[in-house]
Amino acid sequence: MPPRRPVTLFVGLMLIASPASAAELGSEDDLLSVDIHAFASQGFILTSANNYLANDTTHGSFQFSEVGINFTKNITEKLRTGIQLFAQDLGPTGNYNAKMDWFYLDYRFKDWLGFRAGRVKIPFGLYNEINDIDSARVPVLLPQSVYPEQDRNYLLAQTGAELYGYQRLQSLGALDYRLYGGTIFLDATASAGSPFQVENFNVPYLAGGRLLWETPLDGLRVGGSLQMLRLDATLLVNTTTVTIRAPVTIWVGSMEYVHNRLLLAAEYSRWYVKSDSSDPMVFPQVSEIVSERAYGMASYRAAKWLQPGVYYSILFPDVDHRVGRANIQHDVATTLRFDINSHWLFKLEGHFMSGTAGLASNLNDNAPLTALQRNWEVLLLKTTAYF
Amino acid sequence: MRRVAAIALTLALLLTAFGGPLFAQSPAGPPVYVVVVHPNNPATSADRQFLEDAFLKKVTRWPNDEVVRPADLVANSPVRRKFSDEVLHRSVDAVKGYWQQRIFSGRDVPPPEFETDDEVVKFVLKHDGGVGYVSGTANLGGTKVLVVK
Repeated sequence: MPPRRPVTLFVGLMLIASPASAAELGSEDDLLSVDIHAFASQGFILTSANNYLANDTTHGSFQFSEVGINFTKNITEKLRTGIQLFAQDLGPTGNYNAKMDWFYLDYRFKDWLGFRAGRVKIPFGLYNEINDIDSARVPVLLPQSVYPEQDRNYLLAQTGAELYGYQRLQSLGALDYRLYGGTIFLDATASAGSPFQVENFNVPYLAGGRLLWETPLDGLRVGGSLQMLRLDATLLVNTTTVTIRAPVTIWVGSMEYVHNRLLLAAEYSRWYVKSDSSDPMVFPQVSEIVSERAYGMASYRAAKWLQPGVYYSILFPDVDHRVGRANIQHDVATTLRFDINSHWLFKLEGHFMSGTAGLASNLNDNAPLTALQRNWEVLLLKTTAYF
Repeated sequence: MRRVAAIALTLALLLTAFGGPLFAQSPAGPPVYVVVVHPNNPATSADRQFLEDAFLKKVTRWPNDEVVRPADLVANSPVRRKFSDEVLHRSVDAVKGYWQQRIFSGRDVPPPEFETDDEVVKFVLKHDGGVGYVSGTANLGGTKVLVVK
């Protein structure tokens, strides 16, 4: 029986967090020196109606925890290695099963060309790589249309290789680029959101890239990301076994502007999903469903200890069907981030939701999304310790 | 009238773009900070943009291919605050946020932080590619001052 909250580890992290920004074993030049960073979060979710992300959120849920620790080491001037262990509990997913969030060998030939191999975070959009890093952003939940928590396992990291680089363009700014390819290893039992029993899950390929242009206007960067993958699954529907193949293509256009204490960001994304089914009578064959996702976000550092933020996020799961509560999700969110000190923060966040497209039936007694409450609110509290 | 306004606007923009202090020159007396490098570093000056990229580890090499080894003062240092505002063009808190993203996404770790100018000087002297900033009144201890363009 795993512990229900990582209290012990949380307290431990707080105790070993030194005034410095990281723990370092040995001095920088020692062969055995290692940089260590860690974080631990505990959240609380309360909804006015509909269970969201976890079970029984209408009565309040503490099943919203994350803990991670990483170790990085420069082996030579060009070669680095690192590993992060991560465990979370978010409703039916995670259950504190620790796993390697990322690990890599990184060889940086030049500033304009580096190579990484291992399990690396997927550079999709502006913030996918920090989707589970509470201390690195203002909102508790990133806009869920573009960065859905429920799809974390499919989007956050891939196992394979990546080429990356950074190139100054004199007066034209700079380019930050990544190209990657590999696969995702998934635990079939982790797909708790599925109404089917998943017997086997496989991602035969995943490939993509991201190009960000740091424009000559200080603080403005724009870019685009593209990702293609295929999901192969064997499902058990009642007593029938069905195999499906679902090629997925997703892209996002991004813009971020940071000026003094102000951050503005906006992203627009479309996801294209097809599926071939071995038994269309049991699992439908889909020619192509296109979903549309977008958000606009602003945050402002009002004081060293206070950052308010706000965003509006919209999701259409099927652009051909935009009418009806199950076919849309409006999300207006407001956040207050309090930095108690440089290693501890607290966040308070409210969401005003219209639509049910962002909900999961299995968290709501398997009720169809059309039967759930159209207008609902979410209150989130979260505290994170990190160093 | 419209022409006068256009000229005034142009002048204002030019002053905003180029008239801002590139050095932390205090009203009278020494600058708030100076940028120092190892005496073996052939560079005598560097673009502000290069230093920003170097301290954010977007670039890792000096023009002579030596590895850049930046050193920071601690976050509550007023010298760091000035350097951060003027050279990195972002607040210390914003830089901290940048490193949070880099650290936990596995991209990189921040430069080492030191409590005192002497420790920064010592670090810079220890590494041929070392670069740091210290207060204008600090004992430079044999390091070389880099002119920021």
